[in-house]
Amino acid sequence: MAEFSWLPRSPLEHALVVGACGAREVAPGISLTEIRNFDLIQIMARRGKGAELANAAKARFGMAAPEVPKAVSASDVTLIWSGPDQFLVLSKGGKHAMDILSQAFSQSASLSDQSHARALISISGTKARAMLAKLSSLDLHPASFPIGAAAATSIDHTSVNLWRGNDRPDGQAVFNLLVFATFAESLWHTMLDAAAEYGVDIGHSAEV
Amino acid sequence: MKYSIFSLARAAFSGHKNWQRTWRDASPKARYDVVIIGGGGHGLATAWFLASEYGIRNVAVLEKGWIGSGNAGRNTTIIRSNYGLPGNTGFYELSMKLWERMEQDLNYNTMVSQRGVINLYHSDAQRDAYARRGNTMRINGIDAELLDLAAVRKMMPFLNFDNARFPVQGGLLQRRGGTARHDAVVWGYAHAASALGVDIIQNCEVTGFVRDANGKVTGVETSRGKIGAGKVGMAVAGSSSRVAAMAGLRLPIESHVLQAFVSEAIKPLIPNVMTFGAGHFYVSQSDKGGLVFGGDIDGYNSYAQRGNMPVMEDVCEGGMALMPMIGRVRLLRQWGGIMDMSMDGSPIIDKTPVDGLYLNAGWCYGGFKATPGSGLVFAHLLARDEPHQEAARFRLDRFRRGAMIDEKGVGAQPNLH
Amino acid sequence: MRIVCPFCGERELGEFTCLGDAKPVRPAAGASEDEVFDYVYLRDNIAGEMSEHWYHGGGCRAWLKITRNTLTHEICSVEPAAGAGARQAAR
Repeated sequence: MAEFSWLPRSPLEHALVVGACGAREVAPGISLTEIRNFDLIQIMARRGKGAELANAAKARFGMAAPEVPKAVSASDVTLIWSGPDQFLVLSKGGKHAMDILSQAFSQSASLSDQSHARALISISGTKARAMLAKLSSLDLHPASFPIGAAAATSIDHTSVNLWRGNDRPDGQAVFNLLVFATFAESLWHTMLDAAAEYGVDIGHSAEV
Repeated sequence: MKYSIFSLARAAFSGHKNWQRTWRDASPKARYDVVIIGGGGHGLATAWFLASEYGIRNVAVLEKGWIGSGNAGRNTTIIRSNYGLPGNTGFYELSMKLWERMEQDLNYNTMVSQRGVINLYHSDAQRDAYARRGNTMRINGIDAELLDLAAVRKMMPFLNFDNARFPVQGGLLQRRGGTARHDAVVWGYAHAASALGVDIIQNCEVTGFVRDANGKVTGVETSRGKIGAGKVGMAVAGSSSRVAAMAGLRLPIESHVLQAFVSEAIKPLIPNVMTFGAGHFYVSQSDKGGLVFGGDIDGYNSYAQRGNMPVMEDVCEGGMALMPMIGRVRLLRQWGGIMDMSMDGSPIIDKTPVDGLYLNAGWCYGGFKATPGSGLVFAHLLARDEPHQEAARFRLDRFRRGAMIDEKGVGAQPNLH
Repeated sequence: MRIVCPFCGERELGEFTCLGDAKPVRPAAGASEDEVFDYVYLRDNIAGEMSEHWYHGGGCRAWLKITRNTLTHEICSVEPAAGAGARQAAR
């Protein structure tokens, strides 16, 4: 029997072309960076086990899991609210991978490994909010969507988890977006269309 | 008065100053043989058929607002008879035949335009389904042609044939289908019915039913006083549940809002009525040049004659998928009508459990094309106390008997029909 | 219409789907044919304030119970429907 192995591959491998895109006569107003090779676990409380899950999460991550639409971060993990009594665990390097978390939450929650089921796209730049305003009905003004704010919402009829990460060193806001892998390419093209007039700098990174 | 080339010439010589009103705005009498509630297309057509076909001329049509102010004035004016299920097929073809002679029957220009209705298909499975529907139509003596891609391309070269997701593969064409001017249909029936003695009474809202000791309906209470009636017929689609509730009836109907849209006028583009098969979008072009189009109902119960943005977006996306070049055309107007959404997507034309009260309801969003047929079969029911043979399946008790006429096959989910 | 989801905050209508009247209760297994017929096919079709089930499918995927005026589209109240996820909003 022939040797067979799974090769993890980004859902945006074909669509994403590193470099400049769209308007060229201006400094790029948008940075689109795909984050690759992350661990992502969805944790949902079992019926009536919400409080138990909250305790288990605090014990495991050293911080409370968000109970309202927010994302909270420690040095090695980000917890993103994804609905009532549920959240996503985003990390790297296997420290919070499925086999480990399933032990910690076996009594209180149902877990599913979304590591290769979602694409993670980071959107920043001076025109990031202007571009997202074409696609999203959310108010992303800093006053109503500050650092750490999160939302389960739809963009172009596609379900996404959107949250605002820490600002870039130059002070620009960073919006992170998780989308189902099979929808990623479609949404990517939609975002490029929306971003083209501002000039786009496209890249990918392994840094969460 | 009778309209003809001579009446036009006579009026021209007097500078068009002596035209008379085309119908009589009547005041209620104490009693009528038949009272029709609802002065829309269906109610007025019923009155005209009662007078012209069944010899019952002591008839009143009661309208809460002004005639044609409800769904008769809020549709996309499409006429067709491309249905596939027994019960619907014959009825809508009866209606189509009545459209074809309407202008002569009524002596009124209702601008019936048989420009063709084409349903586009976008997959092999959909082609098969349309072929089957077309065959069903032809077996029943209704015209239908299955067009391949080349024929569609020739007929409508402006469509986007490069849409990878929803490729146009062909279409099912009914050449006899088309459009009619909705307001003119209302005025035409009012004109012809009024001439035969029917009283058309506006600003007359029914507020209750008068019942005798046995519970039989013997008249209606209205905002203009009590009016006695031998029989009362309801043709108030959109408000059927509210009016029926006054007689203590609950109906298998939900009221939903359906939006329609008109763009600014553009040069002649769309030669027919066409529908997008991969979404819900239907469009024709009015004589003034505006694109007249619509799609799905909004999906929530509503009695408000206006809709919301998501469906507007969905409808426009359907249009853009077919014709990307309309992206810069501006929307001129948008409106909403209230649909009687029945539990199987088909109408109800029947006696009710209340003696003396007759029901014409549940037209979902297909009522306009049915106007003449609905008028004839409802008049038949009122006059003869038995269903017209082409409406024999539109019974109120069919849900209990399991004899649904569900063209879409989605069951008792009115917001999905 | 915009709906204030008790979990997500105010969102556009496009994120939600209407299931319909929240009042009818599924009859028990041994219910009479009349009761089942009534439940499946007949509607109050209220003109005025109506209690409905809505689904926030384009957001947190919670089921909601909404009181809405069918004459004006005014939304009077939004609360989580019974079931999982209700723990926090009820607090």
